[in-house]
Amino acid sequence: ILAGFGNLMQDVLWCFSQVKGTIDIGVTEADIISTVEFNHTGELLATGDKGGRVVIFQREQESKNQPHRRGEYNVYSTFQSHEPEFDYLKSLEIEEKINKIRWLPQQNAAYFLLSTNDKTVKLWKVSERDKRPEGYNLKDEDGRLRDPSMITMLRVPVLRPMDLMVEATPRRVFANAHTYHINSISVNSDYETYMSADDLRINLWNFEITNQSFNIVDIKPANMEELTEVITAAEFHPHHCNTFVYSSSKGTIRLCDMRTSALCDRHAKFFEEPEDPSNRSFFSEIISSISDVKFSHSGRYIMTRDYLTVKVWDLNMENRPIETYQVHDYLRSKLCSLYENDCIFDKFECVWNGSDSVIMTGSYNNFFRMFDRNTKRDVTLEASRENSKPRAILKPRKVCVGGKRRKDEISVDSLDFSKKILHTAWHPSENIIAVAATNNLYIFQDKVN
Amino acid sequence: MLGRGLKRKLSDYEENMAGLSSAFDSSRNLPYPLKRQLVLNMCLTKLQTYKMLVEPNLHRSVLIANTVRQIQEEMRQESNQQPISVCPGITPTSHSYTGMESSGISLQLPSGISQQESNCCDLRSVEDPLENSLLIVSDDDMSSAISSILKDLDFVEDISPPTCLVPTGDDQPKFPENTGLKLEDDRQDLKGAECVFGSFEISNSTSYLKDLAIDDIFEDIDTSMYDSDFCCPPLMPPRPPSLATEEPLKTFPSCNSSPASNIQICRTDLSELDHIMEILVGS
Repeated sequence: ILAGFGNLMQDVLWCFSQVKGTIDIGVTEADIISTVEFNHTGELLATGDKGGRVVIFQREQESKNQPHRRGEYNVYSTFQSHEPEFDYLKSLEIEEKINKIRWLPQQNAAYFLLSTNDKTVKLWKVSERDKRPEGYNLKDEDGRLRDPSMITMLRVPVLRPMDLMVEATPRRVFANAHTYHINSISVNSDYETYMSADDLRINLWNFEITNQSFNIVDIKPANMEELTEVITAAEFHPHHCNTFVYSSSKGTIRLCDMRTSALCDRHAKFFEEPEDPSNRSFFSEIISSISDVKFSHSGRYIMTRDYLTVKVWDLNMENRPIETYQVHDYLRSKLCSLYENDCIFDKFECVWNGSDSVIMTGSYNNFFRMFDRNTKRDVTLEASRENSKPRAILKPRKVCVGGKRRKDEISVDSLDFSKKILHTAWHPSENIIAVAATNNLYIFQDKVN
Repeated sequence: MLGRGLKRKLSDYEENMAGLSSAFDSSRNLPYPLKRQLVLNMCLTKLQTYKMLVEPNLHRSVLIANTVRQIQEEMRQESNQQPISVCPGITPTSHSYTGMESSGISLQLPSGISQQESNCCDLRSVEDPLENSLLIVSDDDMSSAISSILKDLDFVEDISPPTCLVPTGDDQPKFPENTGLKLEDDRQDLKGAECVFGSFEISNSTSYLKDLAIDDIFEDIDTSMYDSDFCCPPLMPPRPPSLATEEPLKTFPSCNSSPASNIQICRTDLSELDHIMEILVGS
C-alpha cells in the first residue's frame, strides 16, 4: 500500500505500535532524544540523544502468522557517536549532543549515516558480520602469534557462521570547520557531497575529503555588532544537486544555485511573507524565526516551521507561502510568558509524508499535529503512556481556548510546556511515524483493516 | 516594599517576572509604554545573563538584541516627537539606570516611581512588584548592552586547537588551516597585536592572561640558557619597537638579533599563539 496516496485524513486511524525508552519519572538528561530519522527505505530508524549516542532500530520481517501487525522496530545497533570535548583555548565544553542524523542511500551491504554535534560531523558505517574466518596459519585460535618455525603445513582459512554482530565504525571525521554551532546537515543528491550549516556559515564537503571543505555561504558581518540575522536550517534539493535552501532567524528562506558562483552569498530566490500588521507584537520577530525547512519529496515545495505555524511554499512563488497552518495559535496570547521561560525559543521540526499530501509537526503537552493538504483537515494526537496499549487507536485531542471546557478537552493553562515534541519522522512510503517525546520514542502506524 | 539599594533575591525576582509576564499576557489594561518597558527589561536581563555564560547562544542573543533595537527605535521616535514621555509616571531623565555593564542588575527602586501620581498609567491596578521591577534604561545603555554581547560572540577562528579525533586511517586534519577560503578575512578581524587577546574572550571569568603581567609569572625562572643560542624562529620573530606595550608574549626573551622585519604582525602572533598553546596543552 502506498500510504498517503489518495488517503484522506478521515480514513487514517493512527494506532499505537511501540514505545522505546524508560518510564522512569526522573529523566536522565543524556537520554533525551535530540534527532529522529528513517533511512531511505524505512527499514532503519535512527535516533540520537543528548549523551552523544546513536540507536538504530531495524524493522523486522513481517510474519505471515500475524498479518495485522506490520513489522516492528527492534534495536539493531547502538554506539557512542560523539564524546564531550573541551576547547582549551576558549575554555568551552563542546556538547556531545547529536543535533542531526542523515542517512546516505544504500549502495552496498553496509549502511552509512552522518551524525553531527555542534562542531564535528562524522560518517558512520554500520555493517553486519555473520561469518568469521577460522584456521589462520600464523595465529592460533586465541589470536596469539605462532612461532613460524613450528608450522609444518599450510591450510586455507574457512569462513564459519557466527552469531550476527552489527558493527558501527567511524569512517570519516569532518572537524574544525565550524566556529559556530552546527544546526543542519544535508546529503546532496549526487551522493558525493554534503553540506553542514552553522549559525553564520554553510560548508560543502566531499565525503572522501576530511581536511578541507568549501565555504559556500557566509553571512558573518565584518563587525559582529551589526549582526541581525543567523542561519537556522539548510537543505539540499532532493533532485537538483546544485540547489539548496537555507532559512533565517528573520523568517526568510533563500534558495541558492551553486553554479552561479563559488560563494553563494547572493541568493537566486528569496522567500518572505509580508508581515501581518494586525498580529504585530514585541515578539513578532522572535516567533517568525524559522526552526526547520524541508523540501517536499517532489522537490516542488518547501515547508517551513516557525513558532506558531507551518507554511508550505511553492518554489515558483517567492512573495508568500501557498499554505499556512496554525499549529497552536492559542499560544499567541501567552507569548510574554513563553518568552520569559524561554519556550519561545524551542525549535520544532516538521516532516512530509511519503506522498507530500500530509505534513506533521510537534507541539507542547506531548501533542503533535498533522495537516492534510488536500482536505484541509487537521488532527491533534498525543504521545503518552496512557495511550500505549498495543494497536490502541489514538483519540484526537483538543485544546480549549475560551470559557467552557468540554469533557475531553484540555485548557491552555493546563498544558505541560516541559513535554515538547520537537522531533518527528515519517516513513518514506508507509503510514508509520516516529515521535520523540523527551526520552521516549513512540512509533505509531495506521490501522490496517 | 524594598528600600533603595537592596538587591532582590533571585527567587523573588523569578517569581515576579513570571507574575509580570502573565500580567502582560492576561491584562488588556496595561498601557502600552508599560508593556514595552516590561519587555525591554526582560530582554536586557536575558542579555545580561547570557553575557555571564561562557558561551552565549548566538541565535537567541541576536533575536533578543533585535527586539531591544526595535524598542529602542520606537522610543527614539517617540522622544523625537514629544519632549515629555508618554507616561508621566516614568520619566527617563530623572531616573536613568546606569551601570548596565557592571555584573548583575540590581533592581533598585528608582525613587519617585511608586509615589508619582499618574492618570494614564493605571499602576494601582497592577501589583506592586510591577512598579518595583521597572527600570528606566537609557538609549546608550541599550546599545551598549547589545554591542557588548555581540562582540563577545566574535570568536577568532584560526586559533581553535584540533579537537579529539577518532582514528579512521584517513588523513587527520591538521591545525585549522582548513576552514575554507575565508582565512584572510578573519585575519583582518584582528587589529593589531593587542587584538590577539582583545577581540575574543578566552572566557569571561578567567581572563588571567590579560590581567597578569606575564613577566611576573616567570620572574623566578632562570632564562639565561635561552639567551645565547636557543633559537625558535616561529616563536620569536623580531618586532618593531613601535608595537603596543601590552605584549603578552614577552615570556621568552628575544633571542633573535636580526633586524626588525616587516612580517605581518597578526600572522606571527597567531603562529606564536599556536606554539604556546601546543606547549601548554602538551599535545
